[in-house]
Amino acid sequence: MASEQLSREEFDLLAKLLDVDGEPAYLDELYSQVRGVYISAKNIREIDVSGAEPDMAFIPPTD
Amino acid sequence: MDTLEICYMSAGDLSKLVKNKEVSPVEIIDAHLARIEATEPVLNSFITLLAEESRTAARQAEKDIQAGRYKGPLHGIPVGLKDLYNTGGVRTTSGSKIFDTFIPEEDCTVAAKFQQAGAILLGKLNMHQFAYGPTGENPDYGHMHNPWNPEMVTGGSSGGSGSAAAAGQCTITTGSDTGGSIRIPAALCGIVGLKPTYGLVSRWGLTALSWSLDHPGPMVRTVEDAAITMNIIAGYDPKDVASAKVDIPDYTTALTGDVRGLRIGMPKEYFEAPLDPQVRKAVLDAVSMLESMGAEVKEVSFPMFNQSQAISSTVLMAEATAYHRDLLEKDGYQLYEPVRQRLEAGLFISAADYIRAQQARALLDQEGRRLLDDVDLLAGPTEPVTAPKLLAPRVLAGEQEIGVVGALTQYTRPYNINGFPAISIPCGFSDTGLPIGLQLAGKPFDELTVLRAAHAYEQATDWHTRRPPL
Repeated sequence: MASEQLSREEFDLLAKLLDVDGEPAYLDELYSQVRGVYISAKNIREIDVSGAEPDMAFIPPTD
Repeated sequence: MDTLEICYMSAGDLSKLVKNKEVSPVEIIDAHLARIEATEPVLNSFITLLAEESRTAARQAEKDIQAGRYKGPLHGIPVGLKDLYNTGGVRTTSGSKIFDTFIPEEDCTVAAKFQQAGAILLGKLNMHQFAYGPTGENPDYGHMHNPWNPEMVTGGSSGGSGSAAAAGQCTITTGSDTGGSIRIPAALCGIVGLKPTYGLVSRWGLTALSWSLDHPGPMVRTVEDAAITMNIIAGYDPKDVASAKVDIPDYTTALTGDVRGLRIGMPKEYFEAPLDPQVRKAVLDAVSMLESMGAEVKEVSFPMFNQSQAISSTVLMAEATAYHRDLLEKDGYQLYEPVRQRLEAGLFISAADYIRAQQARALLDQEGRRLLDDVDLLAGPTEPVTAPKLLAPRVLAGEQEIGVVGALTQYTRPYNINGFPAISIPCGFSDTGLPIGLQLAGKPFDELTVLRAAHAYEQATDWHTRRPPL
């Protein structure tokens, strides 16, 4: 879903679709946080994960 | 005996006096309640203080011990639980007024184990709201304050646990650690915090933040007390789907003081990240001391460390938002704004990005296991900085100014991702008098080696004996 950059217009549209609302100052700060989310996603997409199955959780021994 | 001395005694020492009937549980509880009364206006460690309940329990413990029914090393010892541990009949707020009147019907597994061991619950400890933050901010019950300088943060999210243990308000406290929430306040408040291996201590009855990253564990003043506490709280729990069926050793057998032959790796990437020079020196000095005591130290490389923030934050935010989604929709307006923002930011993470983060997590796990084929422990700073100012958004780490959340979780997140045991122990002070923490991490379920090295270092230094100026 995430493109590498998230414009304010794209954020506003997504926020509306996700039913996220708030005062302008609140949304400004949220936009900043969401850009951080997108940067993290971009960093992870740059990792070569071919052959790695998702580690949904550390699986502890059960017997 | 001087009441302040009682408050600063370890559980290990105090329990000997209790067993020999040289100090009674009533004296211990009274001393701690007096200490809390004197320091709480500054620290704000507690959300709920159980003064009368703990006095009643202490009188019962005294009767039992006098009658020869001594239960073991935590009998009559005061314990404080982070306020996301469910306690039957005692309100459990998770640090939010939304749950101000929530009274669980039964104890979480850890609380039940403390109860069975004869420990006395002094109260429920303050925390970052819903454990979603590393500083110890809480507008609902008041921010937590660092005992070494109340203008500074305790660290979080288990901030009340950090300040209560450091200031002698409780002998044993507990935290929960999703991105560092035991080790961060332990380092910033100058105490010992152990994040056990994932699955070793039951999460049942704790409010979750991120199911696959949450670890309950002890926050205490000595490594011996961490071992004593682990003897009580570790073990398989069928109520927790992630609980591990492993043999539980006597953790106090690790306390030999001997590190000869122990192999310690120093990931070079830890020292290429933003790092305060005083912290760097204290940590390098600590590792040199372990080397002088007979450990073998070598530099290792942990490249996936550089991806740990991205992996951890993606997994954590997606899981936290999933867990709290109903709350967010129903009561979002009542949440502390930064917590609400983090929860809402999690809505923007796609399923594909979450899964990819879990794939990257598998790679980090594999890399960590390979590293620990060659060494027994990984050592480094717990924190790149000492305690930042309360509510400061950014902090100077060496020559770089970075965001506080990223800074405080920089070195702790990797061991939440892979679930390896990791401890923070005091290893020095800055020139402004703030504590510095050394982090040691080991192989899964090898808490014995982690405790062995931590204890040997602790016994060779006096950092853990220093007291905050309160």
